[in-house]
Amino acid sequence: MMKRLTVAVIGIFAFGPVYWLLVTAFTPDEDVFQFPPKLWPTRFTLEHFANLADNPALMNYLVNSIIVSTLTALLTVLVSSYTAYSFSKFRYRGRKSLMYLILASQMFPQGLLLITLYLVFSAAGMLNSYLALVLSFTTFTLPLCVWMLKGFFDTIPDELIEAAKVDGAGQGSIIHRILLPVALPGLIATGLFAFIRGWNDFIFALTLAGPDKQTLPPGLVNTYLGEFQAAWPDLMAASLAVSLPVVIGFAVLQRYLVAGLTSGAVKG
Amino acid sequence: MTVQTVPSKHAEPPEVVRRRKLGKPLSNGTFGFLLTLPAVVMFGAIVLYPLAGSLSTSLFKQSLVIPGRSFAGLDNFKHVLENEFWPVLENTLVFTGLGTIAPFVIGFALALALNTQMKGRAVLRGMFLFPWVIPGVVVSFAWLWIFNANYGLLNGLLVRLGLIDAPVSWLGEPGTAMMAVIVAKTWASFPWIMVMLLAGLQTVPSVLHEAAAMDGAGTIRRFWHVTLPHLRGIIGVVILLELIWNFQHFDTIYVLTGGGPAGATTTFAVAVYETAFKGFDLGQAGALGALWMLLLSVLVVFYVRMAER
Repeated sequence: MMKRLTVAVIGIFAFGPVYWLLVTAFTPDEDVFQFPPKLWPTRFTLEHFANLADNPALMNYLVNSIIVSTLTALLTVLVSSYTAYSFSKFRYRGRKSLMYLILASQMFPQGLLLITLYLVFSAAGMLNSYLALVLSFTTFTLPLCVWMLKGFFDTIPDELIEAAKVDGAGQGSIIHRILLPVALPGLIATGLFAFIRGWNDFIFALTLAGPDKQTLPPGLVNTYLGEFQAAWPDLMAASLAVSLPVVIGFAVLQRYLVAGLTSGAVKG
Repeated sequence: MTVQTVPSKHAEPPEVVRRRKLGKPLSNGTFGFLLTLPAVVMFGAIVLYPLAGSLSTSLFKQSLVIPGRSFAGLDNFKHVLENEFWPVLENTLVFTGLGTIAPFVIGFALALALNTQMKGRAVLRGMFLFPWVIPGVVVSFAWLWIFNANYGLLNGLLVRLGLIDAPVSWLGEPGTAMMAVIVAKTWASFPWIMVMLLAGLQTVPSVLHEAAAMDGAGTIRRFWHVTLPHLRGIIGVVILLELIWNFQHFDTIYVLTGGGPAGATTTFAVAVYETAFKGFDLGQAGALGALWMLLLSVLVVFYVRMAER
């Protein structure tokens, strides 16, 4: 009984805002802008979603988000699989230190790093480029992804690799023909996770990219929050649209999620 | 390449590796290290060099927009310690403290409630993750709208219930803005804590509970003497990680209040960003950031100690 009550009360706190987001996004303006607000919607509209599609600036942010997140996912999978293979199947001096360095790097405040990153990218003529964003996102996604993939590679028996060597396989074909196919589910999870991190990021895209290369999170802030009277229903519709890929991605990731979360390497 | 054994978990002693003659093809260890090179280079370029660079700006008078800099000794530290440091520290501590305790209590309560054979538990757990997985700016948009002074849901509910007479500008008053920011962050944080603690709860052997119950221990005593001791490790990790993350948190605060009103919600993350990218003063931003980093490293040391145990 107590348990059901607890779930109900926390459920209201958790899903109340989600409900309100949905209601506002599908309600006509006249009904939204009144006080006190109607708790139950009486009329339904899709005009706010149509407004999003009609806004070329938003479509540009969307394209940027897709490009940057996809490139981040690909680069992350590539770099983290080599690194994870090394951590899992090789022993050399400094390996432990490297592992801890990579894990610890997410403890450094990003706002502080951005001061110098901005100057460096500016000097290199890379401000306002996809590359600056992709490199930054990938670096901060690596810790979790390396840890996640290392877990996968650890489960691949060394005998499999030894047998391949006996058959004359070089390191290249061991990685690309044996390890990566076996770890495919892990690679997909890693890529999806990196995609979401790139998709959700705010501060790097805000600082390192100008309006034409900005992704959706800073793009939405610039579009809607500068105005005196924000177009709230449009913003709620946009919020739902931006959240959708992430929610789908996490539904797919659920299986790996708890293990990844409990490894303590995810930054919340 | 000749047949080589891949070092297993029980690695060959390092002396063996070192005794290999030079001029041979890459030894296994060297090849292993080379595989990490892309990651190492990226960490150097995106994390370590910027960290050193940003810390060093604290000793210079340097602008974001004007090239060149001049050595300033400890002037920047002196300036920030005499001005924004203390209020910013206070805001950061309030945000970090309450922003950790509140979601911990909610997450723990929910984990305990969901740790039963309730129907559809897995689905519920997945649904509760929603606030945590969505982009940080969306969290802010949702609460910005709920706290809106003119048409907001919160004012609407409170007026209907007769608890307030006139709408309150939650984000516009220094007294309520910090609470509003903490509520929004709590909403986004508690699901992760719930998942972690639920995973921990499921490792508590039911035999222990049954034995305690046979000895006559009630629900509350079993919680104190069986559940809590078993979860001690995971509770420590969860709380420390939350403290570390909240101490650096930027998105929710920046979008909800921009650090205002009158600096009432300006934490280190917001202050460093504003000083560097709105005030263009890299020297003072670096000094503030160095102090921020110093305080943060205390938490990180605690975390590493705990992780090693």
